Amino acid sequence: MNPTPDARVTVPAIEARGLGKTYRGGVEAVTSLDLIVPHGSIYALLGPNGAGKTTAISMLTTLTEPTSGQAWIDGLDVVNDAAAVRRAIGVTFQETVLDDALTGRQVLEFHGRLYGLSPSERRRRADELLDLTELTDAAPRRAKTYSGGMKRRLELARALMTVPRVLFLDEPTLGLDPQGRARIWDYVRALERRADLTVMLTTHYLDEAQQLADQVGIMDGGRLVTEGAPDALIDALGSDTIQVRGRGASQDLDHRFAEVAFVQSFSSVDGGFLLGVDSASRRLADVIALTTRAGFSIDDVSVAKPDLGAVFFQHTGRTLRDGGPA
Amino acid sequence: MKAAATVANREAARSLPVEPTLVAASTSIWRKHIGKFLGNAEELFGVIVQPVLWVVLFGVGMRSAVAIGAGAGDDYVGFMLPGIVALSAMGGAIGGGMVWLDERVRGIVREYLVAPVPRLSILLGNVGSTLTKSLLQAFVIFVVGILMGAAVTGDVLGWLVAVLLLVGYAAGFSGLALAVASTTDDLMAYHAMIMLLNLPVLFLSNALYPLTALPTWMKVGALANPTTYLVDGIRRTVLGGSGDLPLLLCLAVTSAFAVLGLAAASRTFATKTKRG
Repeated sequence: MNPTPDARVTVPAIEARGLGKTYRGGVEAVTSLDLIVPHGSIYALLGPNGAGKTTAISMLTTLTEPTSGQAWIDGLDVVNDAAAVRRAIGVTFQETVLDDALTGRQVLEFHGRLYGLSPSERRRRADELLDLTELTDAAPRRAKTYSGGMKRRLELARALMTVPRVLFLDEPTLGLDPQGRARIWDYVRALERRADLTVMLTTHYLDEAQQLADQVGIMDGGRLVTEGAPDALIDALGSDTIQVRGRGASQDLDHRFAEVAFVQSFSSVDGGFLLGVDSASRRLADVIALTTRAGFSIDDVSVAKPDLGAVFFQHTGRTLRDGGPA
Repeated sequence: MKAAATVANREAARSLPVEPTLVAASTSIWRKHIGKFLGNAEELFGVIVQPVLWVVLFGVGMRSAVAIGAGAGDDYVGFMLPGIVALSAMGGAIGGGMVWLDERVRGIVREYLVAPVPRLSILLGNVGSTLTKSLLQAFVIFVVGILMGAAVTGDVLGWLVAVLLLVGYAAGFSGLALAVASTTDDLMAYHAMIMLLNLPVLFLSNALYPLTALPTWMKVGALANPTTYLVDGIRRTVLGGSGDLPLLLCLAVTSAFAVLGLAAASRTFATKTKRG
C-alpha cells in the first residue's frame, strides 16, 4: 500500500483532478479544477473575491468535501485519508483565527499539544518559530494585545509548529499595511528555502502573486482560467500592452492584427481587446489607425507594461479590482 | 540533494503519531479551557464567589425564616447546599456552551477541524472542563456550608457516590447547553433559550423545599426534573438526610440524564463539525 520513499518523491505535493464543489442550492463554487504542484514550490491562486479560491483551499485542507473529482496531498486522498492529510499540512485562514485570550507562546503550545508533539519538541519548535516570525519579545503577552500583522505572523508560526509538508495560506496578507505584507513575504520566501516545504497561497493582490509565486493559477468564476510561471505568463503578452475599449466587432480584428509584424499577442475580450506589442509608444498610432479602419469605434485606449493584471484581463476580460497597493 | 532532503524530512514527519488518541486530544482541549479559566481572574472570582453568596445570603437568611423538620434535619443551610451545587453546575454548563458558541462563531473551531484529532475530542474537552469547574464549585460550596454550620456526614463511599451523581448531572447539562449552543449562532438567542430552562430547574425541584411539602402538581414536575434526584441523592449520602427517593434511582436518573445530554450534544456536534 505504502509507496517506497523514492517513489513518493515523484508524487506531487498537491494534485487535483476535476475537483469541483457545488453547494446545496446549486451554487457552483469550483468547477473541474486540475492542479499539479511539485514539492518545494510556491503556488499562488490569484483571483477576485468569490472566484472560488477559498473553496478550493477548503477542499484541499479537508474542511470541505468535494462534490466531484479528487485531490491528493503528497499522494494522500483528501477524502479517504483525511486524518493523514491533516497531519501533513499547516493552514492559515482568511480571517484571523486566534484564541486571543492565550499568550503567543500558549497558542503555539496548545497547537503542538493538539497534534501530539512531545513537550520538548513543542518548546523547541515554538522558540524557533517565535524567532523566525520576530515574536519572541511578544510571546508572553496575550494575543489580544497584538497588532494585525503580529497576529498574522503568529498564525503563520502556528501553522508551522507541526512541521507540515504542505503549507496553505488563505489570503495571508489581507488587511495588512505594505510593511506588514512585505514582512510576511520575507518569511514565506525564507520558508521556501527549506527545500521540503510546499506553499499554496491564495491572494487577490497581483504583486503578491508576482513576487512570491513560482507558479500562478488565475481563477475566475470558479474556474482555473490559466496557469504558469508569472514571468512566462507576462512575457507571453509581449513587451508592452495596448488595451482598447470601444464598440464594434473585435473578432475580425484578430486576423488583421495577426498579419502585423510588431504584434506579439492578441486577446479579444468583452468590450474590446488586448494587444501585446514590441513597443507601445512607437506602435500606438498604427494600432489606432488600423482599428478605426476596421470599423471599430474606440472609447478608450490605455498602454501598460504587462503584469499579472493584464494576464488576468487577457483571460477574463475584466480587471482585477481591489488589487494590492503596489 | 533536494529530493534526498525531502525524503528524510518526510520520514521524520511520518514517525510522528498520525492521529492523537481521543483521550490525548480531549485532554489538550480540556487543558486549554482550564488554563484560560485559571488565567482569567474575573471568571475565577465569579465562579467561586457566586455560590458563596448563595450559601451565605440565601441559606443563612432562609434559615432564620424557616424551620424544617424533614430533609436534612433542622439545618436549612445544609438542606439547600445540594441545590446550590446543582445551580452552579448548571451555570458552569451554560458557560461551557458559551465557550463553544464563541469558538464556533469566531472560527476558532477550524483550528481543531484541520487538526488530525477525533471530532469527539472537541465535545469531550468542553464537557470535561465544565465538569472540572462544577466539582471545584461544589467543593467551595461545601466548605462554605460547613463554615456556616451545615452538618456534613458521609463516609468515603458516600462522598464518591455524591461526586458520581454530580458528574452525571453536570455532564447532562453540559451536553444540553452544547447542543443548544450548536443550533444557534446568536448569543442572545442562546441565553434566551437557556434562561428558560434555568428557573424551573431550580424551583421546580426539591432543592429549596422538601418534596413531601409540595402540592401534587409541583411534585410531578419535580420528579421529572433530574435536579431532584441529584439533590435527594446528595442529601442522603453526605448530609445525613433520610431521602425521599431510592438512591439507586437517583444514580440511574442522573446517569440517564448524562447519556441523554451527551447524545444530544454529539448529534448536533456531528452536524456542526461535518464537512460542508
